Amino acid sequence: MTTPERSVVDRVDRPAEPMPADEAVSACTFRTKDLSIWYGDKRAIDNVTLDIASNAVTAIIGPSGCGKSTFIRSLNRMHELVPKTRVEGTVLLQGEDLYSSNVDPAIVRRRVGMVFQKSNPFPTMSIGENVIIGLRLNGVRNQKFLNERLERSLRMAALWDEVKDDLHKPGTSLSGGQQQRLCIARALAVEPEVLLMDEPCSALDPIATAKIEELIYELKTTYTIVTVTHNMQQAGRISDYTAFFYLGRLIEFGPTTKIFTNPSERQTEDYITGRFG
Amino acid sequence: MIAPKHILGTFDEALASLRNNVLMMSGLTERSLERAMKGLVNRDDNICANAIADDEEIDQLEKQIDKDGVDILLRFQPVASDLRRVVSAMKLSSNLERMADQATTIARRARKLNQHPPLPEVELMKPMYEHAMSMFKDSVDAFVREDVDLGRAVVPRDEKLDELNRLASHKLVERMAHDPEQLRGYLNLIFIGRCLERVGDHATNIAEDAVYAAAAEDIRHQTLVASS
Repeated sequence: MTTPERSVVDRVDRPAEPMPADEAVSACTFRTKDLSIWYGDKRAIDNVTLDIASNAVTAIIGPSGCGKSTFIRSLNRMHELVPKTRVEGTVLLQGEDLYSSNVDPAIVRRRVGMVFQKSNPFPTMSIGENVIIGLRLNGVRNQKFLNERLERSLRMAALWDEVKDDLHKPGTSLSGGQQQRLCIARALAVEPEVLLMDEPCSALDPIATAKIEELIYELKTTYTIVTVTHNMQQAGRISDYTAFFYLGRLIEFGPTTKIFTNPSERQTEDYITGRFG
Repeated sequence: MIAPKHILGTFDEALASLRNNVLMMSGLTERSLERAMKGLVNRDDNICANAIADDEEIDQLEKQIDKDGVDILLRFQPVASDLRRVVSAMKLSSNLERMADQATTIARRARKLNQHPPLPEVELMKPMYEHAMSMFKDSVDAFVREDVDLGRAVVPRDEKLDELNRLASHKLVERMAHDPEQLRGYLNLIFIGRCLERVGDHATNIAEDAVYAAAAEDIRHQTLVASS
């Protein structure tokens, strides 16, 4: 008896079902309400109300000076490092007001990790030390625990195989793309709830960029990710939701597919199609 | 709605060139269909030959539009309405090329009919042709003017064309039974009717693409969705 041939349909590798991109965000990690931020007299963010979905990637786009970076920095109170900053409105992380007087900004930054445009490993530290420095500063001394967390974070950042034999070498000895993944590993080591990324690929070549993008795609199963990018194609590739900012205001927010195929606002359409001005 | 200028002038030029080629291809396809029908009605082999010759230029334009479209996608990575315009233009050219193929088939069948005594049943093709051409012109207009209402209105008109084709085929089959001597002629007319019916299908596709380009709304296969 001959084995029946598999049909063509059976041979098709089916990708995992994509995340449904509903108009409304169902479960949200962050909720900003009427958020306004000033640097001295200058209003950088103007009345922004936005829900950021859990376990999804939200891209913030907009022209330079529109408040993208200020907005994501406000999600872990990093913008407060700039003098004469003032905030109005609320930012809720899992329902908790981040700007409440009894909230310690250092704890907020532990819960909400951040990766910057330019990779910034500590120059005097080895690759391994760079990853676990956050834990050490938080008083963790158990070497077995630190080693486990080191490997786990580097694996999550897709860097372990490339550096496992060179953990003692300086972090700055790595390539630009590796350094950026090292910074991601460093952010992941303290097990944050959210990862903020401020143009994480803007200084990287296409191969390093592709690795970071794949990493973002994998990390969103565990983390809520908010990223700022000037690269429209990248926003289209990696994000589930997109928010368009202009002059400090949130002009449009919605599923990325909708924003990049049929935005509701004319300003969004003009910006993403390159007709801004 | 006329979009404001792109920050890259070369993008606007590339998009305009793509659109012009689509318009030229539409014009040539329309001419080819007119010639094929004229060759059938006037029993003129030369006009039929012209219709067949048009196909070559239309085929080349289809390749050019595909090449230009891919080039735009590669160079400019358009999004939103720009992306929809490029994708729709490429789909339009594919439908136009198939319409031109129908014109060629009509012209070839007409030449065969011209070798035999005239059949009065050729008249059955006229209302089908007029209806199909009206759908075709409106669908291209809908695309050019980004007229969503016009595009939407074209789609249900295909049913009438299908009905006209059914009636014509029925009559021609009846005639075959009564006049078996002209069997081949009636068969050729049935095939020509089928070609005109296909022209209506392609016009419907173009209208649907026009609606997508203008409003990002996919109106294809709506009966299927509604019934499932």
